[in-house]
Amino acid sequence: MSTERLVCVVDDDDAIRESLRVLLFTHGIACRCFASAAEFLDQGPQLAIHCLLLDIRMPGMDGLELFDRLRQQKAAYPIVFITGHGDIPLAVDAIKNGAHDFLTKPFRDGELIKTVQSAFDAFQRTRNEMERLEVLQDRAGSLTPREREVMKLMAQGLPNKGVADELNISPRTVEIHRAHVMEKMCADSLPALVRMVSQLGIDSPDQ
Amino acid sequence: MKSRSEIHQPEATRPDETRKAGFFNALMDAAVDAIIIIDHQSRVLHFNPSAQRIFGYTEKEIVGQNVSVLMPESHRHKHDEYVNNYLDTGQAKIIGIGREEFGLRRNGDVFPMRLSVGETIRDDESFFVGIIHDLSEQRGTEDQLRFLEQKLFHADRLVTLGELTAGIAHEINQPLTAIAAYADAGRFLNSKNAALQAPASPESAAEHPNEPSINDIFERIGEQARRAGEVIERLRKLVRSEYSSKSAHDINTIIKNTLLLFDYDIKKTNIKLHYKPDHSLPLIFVDDIQIQQILVNLVKNGMDAIAESGRPDGIISIETEAADEELSIAVQDNGAGVTDLSLDRLFQPFYTSKPKGVGLGLSICKSIAVTHGGQLVHSRPSKGGARFTLRLPLASIG
Repeated sequence: MSTERLVCVVDDDDAIRESLRVLLFTHGIACRCFASAAEFLDQGPQLAIHCLLLDIRMPGMDGLELFDRLRQQKAAYPIVFITGHGDIPLAVDAIKNGAHDFLTKPFRDGELIKTVQSAFDAFQRTRNEMERLEVLQDRAGSLTPREREVMKLMAQGLPNKGVADELNISPRTVEIHRAHVMEKMCADSLPALVRMVSQLGIDSPDQ
Repeated sequence: MKSRSEIHQPEATRPDETRKAGFFNALMDAAVDAIIIIDHQSRVLHFNPSAQRIFGYTEKEIVGQNVSVLMPESHRHKHDEYVNNYLDTGQAKIIGIGREEFGLRRNGDVFPMRLSVGETIRDDESFFVGIIHDLSEQRGTEDQLRFLEQKLFHADRLVTLGELTAGIAHEINQPLTAIAAYADAGRFLNSKNAALQAPASPESAAEHPNEPSINDIFERIGEQARRAGEVIERLRKLVRSEYSSKSAHDINTIIKNTLLLFDYDIKKTNIKLHYKPDHSLPLIFVDDIQIQQILVNLVKNGMDAIAESGRPDGIISIETEAADEELSIAVQDNGAGVTDLSLDRLFQPFYTSKPKGVGLGLSICKSIAVTHGGQLVHSRPSKGGARFTLRLPLASIG
């Protein structure tokens, strides 16, 4: 496992923080620990976090409040709650609001590492998505304004003739634009192009 | 009544005797307590209007009868013993002293009463005057109060147990979690090291087939930590499910019953209680004993805070308000208030600022409020002191 991945732990209990740090360390996972939500809010933003392990019950700002705060800040990393049995309903609610998972204390053998691993995977998927989107945006950026218009109309399912009428140009010109669009967007079929347009969020008629 | 005074008109020759007889009748008629006069053979001679009211007999029915008809069966022989004993030995067990006894009404009801007996001798004959104060009403209130206190105490114990268990479950779960995590780490580290070293010789393993490996031991440590966690979780669930029964209640009654419990303490401390029942409030669907328990805690805390501040003009006020599908009950005091230091941990179990506190009061109150779908919050009144507001949902009833 790569050591560049960073897990942050926010828990007010010293023993839990230290034991989690040791456990993660044996698996080659880097870990930063924080004793309170305030401490994390102070130092967390400077870190490239891949997963956050968050205790629910803490004095001062509790785990759920911190979670809300991080959601408002659109934190990109998965958040895993660690909770006692009594707080399971709260943790379930948190999952409905976008938390990655929760672990009940004490953890089962290997459970923590498995969950952290799944959080890493989820993070990687999100990151891949974002990278793909960036690539798509770059490609879309290389289109001329006319090509962009043609692409949008193609994605709406209009045939060449329809696009030509809509833009007041000849079907022959549409065909040339169309070939450029497919080439610049690296699309090998019309359905592939439709998916890209949808991912770029430029498929609605008024955009 | 006139007729009776005529019947008992003594054959007075002097005017002051007549006057005295008049006063006697007036005394008998006006006395709030029952007055019964009997002769040395326990026969009833006089039976005043209050006696008639209390026992339910008319004077005609009872005069001439043995007074023991006014006593429960089980007490009758005792009465005869007292009288005989007194007449024989002159030893008074009740005369001039007074004691609490039981009376028997005509309808068969047995009731508690305070009985005092005096003796008078006229023409060498002993007469006994019994004055009886009916205690049943007072007892009723006392019994009710005692019953309320008992119920509250019971609920208190159950909720304390629940909260205690939840608190302990949380506190013990923390080190158990650390133990399990360390065991997990130990096991992983050991297998990693074992894999790096030369492969274990099969002979050495065969030599001690029953000897567990380090990995087994780590695994067992983890297992046992989780087992302890499960035991605590089962206990927590068991205690949780044992109480709470909700029905529709008038919050004014709950508050009144709460304040009843403080009657004595309040008088002792000079603290003023401000509370005006608001009968326009809707009913709430709650476990009344648990809500009362919250209020008892809040009022008690208020009294403690006033004592701590040392101010002589302590005031605790209780305000109710219904708004937005919510009923709020605020308990405010002008005592020492909550320090900044305590503010964060105010509702946490085992946190207390009192020298002899356990730190469960407010934590229990909060969990009761939450199980009712409500909230308990603290605020600081501008004039100092503390204000705790209990908010309960005005859920649909029936």
